[in-house]
Amino acid sequence: MSKDRVSRRQFLSYTLTGVGGFMAAGILMPMVRFAVDPVLKAEAAGEFVATKQKVADLTNEPVRVDFTYKQKDAWYESDVTESAWVYKDDAGKIIALSPVCKHLGCTVNWGSDKAHPDQFFCPCHYGRYTKDGTNVPGTPPLAPLDVYPFKEKDGYLYLGKAKPRKEA
Amino acid sequence: MKWISQDVETYLTAKEYVDTAVVPLYPVSLGEGMKQSAAAVEFITLLTAYLEKQFTGRILLFPPFTYLDSEQWDNILSDIHKWEDSIVASGFKHIFYVTSDLEWRSREDELNGTLIWLPSIPLEHMNDSQKLTMIDSQVKQIITIFTQKWHKND
Ligand code: FES
Repeated sequence: MSKDRVSRRQFLSYTLTGVGGFMAAGILMPMVRFAVDPVLKAEAAGEFVATKQKVADLTNEPVRVDFTYKQKDAWYESDVTESAWVYKDDAGKIIALSPVCKHLGCTVNWGSDKAHPDQFFCPCHYGRYTKDGTNVPGTPPLAPLDVYPFKEKDGYLYLGKAKPRKEA
Repeated sequence: MKWISQDVETYLTAKEYVDTAVVPLYPVSLGEGMKQSAAAVEFITLLTAYLEKQFTGRILLFPPFTYLDSEQWDNILSDIHKWEDSIVASGFKHIFYVTSDLEWRSREDELNGTLIWLPSIPLEHMNDSQKLTMIDSQVKQIITIFTQKWHKND
């Protein structure tokens, strides 16, 4: 019987090793995460989401294209819907702009200001952007609209993560 | 802006631009009306979230003002007046209430802000893109109520 008995000292040392192990894991885990994270992030940034927009249907008039992807907030996963303003420029190149105003984040619309039918307009503080997304000086926004990287696959438009441009 | 710490922080630095408070009004019923109450909350939650996305830079979406539907209206009104007073005192120029509780329609005059009443549309049998289309068309109508109100004052 006394053979199996764990002495006080043994008990303590087992327990401490256990606790220490946990603590070490606690310290190491975030370090591992840090080390791995950039890779994961880069992958996420390279992800393109399918839209319902056919590339062939795009004209030089900006249209709103909605797309949905999954986003995780702590344990809560939800569908996020984002939009883009998409058109073909004079050279026939596709331009996909983020609708998020660079002032304080309202959603901008194409041509909704009667006085400037060929600009993007922000209804919140009357910010304006030219068709290529450049902010109009004298209106509140201080930077051009973000740009979505895009891809064409089977005739459909795929959008990536919107990126800021350099200041105009 | 939403009632989350990150947005509230932005709000505090950009107060002069965010002059509009949006307060959802949620009636809570138990028993028979429970399902309807839940559907209404679901609808208004989705709708106000979408509205917030359109007007992020100018509105602050408050946590909902919630009341039991069995509560005396005198009490509900005196509570909402307390909210109004604090909201106005903290610098907001406009208050919008969003609800699908019909009761408020007859009490609109007693509110200091603008009441936006919408009949609740059941979302339970819709898929995401149907929901989006529906909410989008509802919000389009509401948007002009906001922009007109702002236009008068800007
Ligand atoms: S948020 Fe667009 S102008 Fe202020």
